[in-house]
Amino acid sequence: MTPATVVQCPECAAPVSAGEQYCEACGAELAPAAPAEASSAAPAGSDQPVENREAADVKPRCHQCGGDVAADGYCTMCGAKARSPRDHFTEQPATWVAAVCDRGIRHSRNEDAVALDARAEPGSHAVLVVCDGVSNSTDSDVASLAAARAARDTLARSSPSGIGTAGARVAATVQALGTAADAANEAVIRHTVEGQGEPASCTFVAAVVDASLLVVGWVGDSRAYWLPDTGEPLMLTVDDSFASEQIAAGVPRKEAETGPQAHAITRWLGIDAPDHTPHTSSLDLATPGWVLVCSDGLWNYCSEPHDLSALVQEQAAGPGADPLALAAALVDWANVQGGADNITAALARIDGPEHLKEGTHDGNVFS
Amino acid sequence: MATFSAEVYQNEFLPDGGSDVHAIVTVTCEGAGEAGSSGSGDAAEIVIVDSSGSMGADKILAAQNAAAAALDQVLDGVWFAVISGNHEAQLLFPVAAEPGMVRMDHQTRAAAKYAIGDLAPTGGTAMGTWLRLATQVFATVPGLAQKHAILLTDGINQHETPQQLTANIEAARGQFQCDCRGVGSDWHVGEVRRIATTLLGSVDLIASAENMAADFEQIMRQSMGRGVAEAWLRVWAPQGAQVLFVRQVSPTVDDLTPRRAEVNALTSAYPTGSWGDEARDYHVAVRLPAKAVGQEQLAARVQLAIGPDVVAQGLVKAMWSSDDTLTTRIDPAVAHYTGQAELADAIQEGLAAKASGDTATATTKLGRAVQLAAETGNDEATTRLKKIVEIDDAVTGKVQLRRSVDKLDEMALDTASTKTTRVKK
Repeated sequence: MTPATVVQCPECAAPVSAGEQYCEACGAELAPAAPAEASSAAPAGSDQPVENREAADVKPRCHQCGGDVAADGYCTMCGAKARSPRDHFTEQPATWVAAVCDRGIRHSRNEDAVALDARAEPGSHAVLVVCDGVSNSTDSDVASLAAARAARDTLARSSPSGIGTAGARVAATVQALGTAADAANEAVIRHTVEGQGEPASCTFVAAVVDASLLVVGWVGDSRAYWLPDTGEPLMLTVDDSFASEQIAAGVPRKEAETGPQAHAITRWLGIDAPDHTPHTSSLDLATPGWVLVCSDGLWNYCSEPHDLSALVQEQAAGPGADPLALAAALVDWANVQGGADNITAALARIDGPEHLKEGTHDGNVFS
Repeated sequence: MATFSAEVYQNEFLPDGGSDVHAIVTVTCEGAGEAGSSGSGDAAEIVIVDSSGSMGADKILAAQNAAAAALDQVLDGVWFAVISGNHEAQLLFPVAAEPGMVRMDHQTRAAAKYAIGDLAPTGGTAMGTWLRLATQVFATVPGLAQKHAILLTDGINQHETPQQLTANIEAARGQFQCDCRGVGSDWHVGEVRRIATTLLGSVDLIASAENMAADFEQIMRQSMGRGVAEAWLRVWAPQGAQVLFVRQVSPTVDDLTPRRAEVNALTSAYPTGSWGDEARDYHVAVRLPAKAVGQEQLAARVQLAIGPDVVAQGLVKAMWSSDDTLTTRIDPAVAHYTGQAELADAIQEGLAAKASGDTATATTKLGRAVQLAAETGNDEATTRLKKIVEIDDAVTGKVQLRRSVDKLDEMALDTASTKTTRVKK
């Protein structure tokens, strides 16, 4: 599933995949910026992300007011700074899987990253990876993107579907998640410049949809949720964070997640990471619903699974089942709440009939 | 070929809810070449000499020498004329039935100097009529790119109404640039400054007639070194923003705000006249609708334009931040020139109050001027102020008006009030 063509970044000469928007090594823009309004879906059977379509004839437009962007990088009408492709980008490898990654409002750069993979047939196989760069470390924006892509590529290659029992498939995917975390960790270390401030580091969360099976692995406080259209919504991850330790000790979630140490994470990827083996959980996807993988830029404003489920259903009322439009709506909503951090929302829509015939297990989370 | 560059000095960080952005933009011109050499058209010079009765034999002789010294500096090929002015204006050279100009060469220079010998002190003063004739004379040569005059006066504008003077100044606005000089102590600084400011020129005092020739020579040499005939300062501000002011702050303070011309809905242009190899500093202040902390936007594009072409651009930015250590810092250049502009106002207002007998206001204003001159390191202003006031304490601005003051010292302080010292960068 990894694009086969490899070209060089014109800025730093690092190898980059053809069709990527920017270099994962130096962040340089590789292709003309995609129009702000990405089309809703890739053509059936395409495995190329939507944003990779050439848009050379489209003049750069201001993301704030729609005015022309001048050569100096600012809007000619409202003066807003033109958004770099790294500040806001979307992915949609298939009609049923999409993500939006956004700088938010209060941070000066986007250190969140997302990388997706999906087969065209809805509900068949998908990989959703989100990494959140730690903001006081050097080059976390470059490192997080490299990590997300490395993990995505690893997981896209190792698809254990069709082998053995459900238990064997879970075990194989858990193992693949461990390998993916290794690859992501190596990618972060590769982009760490020694002796320059705090070393680059980021969180990691990956969700693998393999027909009716969902397996999740994480390091840090980026999350995965299962939000069924009807029935009990679930948070599939347990943050590696100080707040989470407090919750485990009995402090109410809201209180713990808004405390002074709420964002201190206890595990991460990077050269100084104590341990980057992902914690994992898995679930049978028995009913229609959404798999949501997100960074704290979203869940900070809506943490409880029930609240998030209500939000998703409210936001989906307009766009319906289009994951890109819904992800964009969730990011917009977080920005309206204040956009205090970078925001990433990655979604997979689960509603294929194969899920219904696979079995009738209750949501069954285990680590 | 002239090249321009623009540098911006500012603190781009605004506190939460902050709206006002201040920046100093330094525009530098290099390789300007000689007047009339830009290819956009010829250059023209007019020397306007006061020949009123008050000039007397000594000052007329000095004025004749000064005019001749100026003509010596005019480059061959440049169009020129000489006007003598009293209560009416007369074209002294070229001598013809209709107003006109001739190109400078060794013959016309000699003929002009000969004509200047005919100057005789007689009659009154009506500077508006001099400006009107100069405007007419410049208009006789089509396609002139650069028009400049030197105006010399020694008295108050008595023989026309202030309204007539205003009308004549307005008719000359944008037609030519005019550097104005007053000789002796009987002219009115405010009146002549009004002419010079509108016509993008300087105003200065020639205290003693014997310095006149050297001054005229210097003015004309400077004018001949201005190879860029005409440039405009352009200021773009975003939709919803308000340009509070645009002010030249170096080499002199000159508020450009009222000279605004509209380029388009978001861009205004201000005339800056001709340019030689020099640097000028501009203070631009823009009020923006406040944005959320973390947002960045452009507050202004400050450009120098020659005709339709933008030849230099500086970007003034705004970034909202919750970090007090970033938002409370005032840029040293902005602070320096804010003080220098206030200094100019304090001197002018202080002298005006003194002239009208308002001792209390004069003492307060000139005391503030002493304080500002000390704060901004403007030693020349301090020296001039010391001749008008006794300084008890420069730090607090405590001063007393001197009992007897030489009128020339007061005029020197007034004319020099707009001259600024450059910020130490």
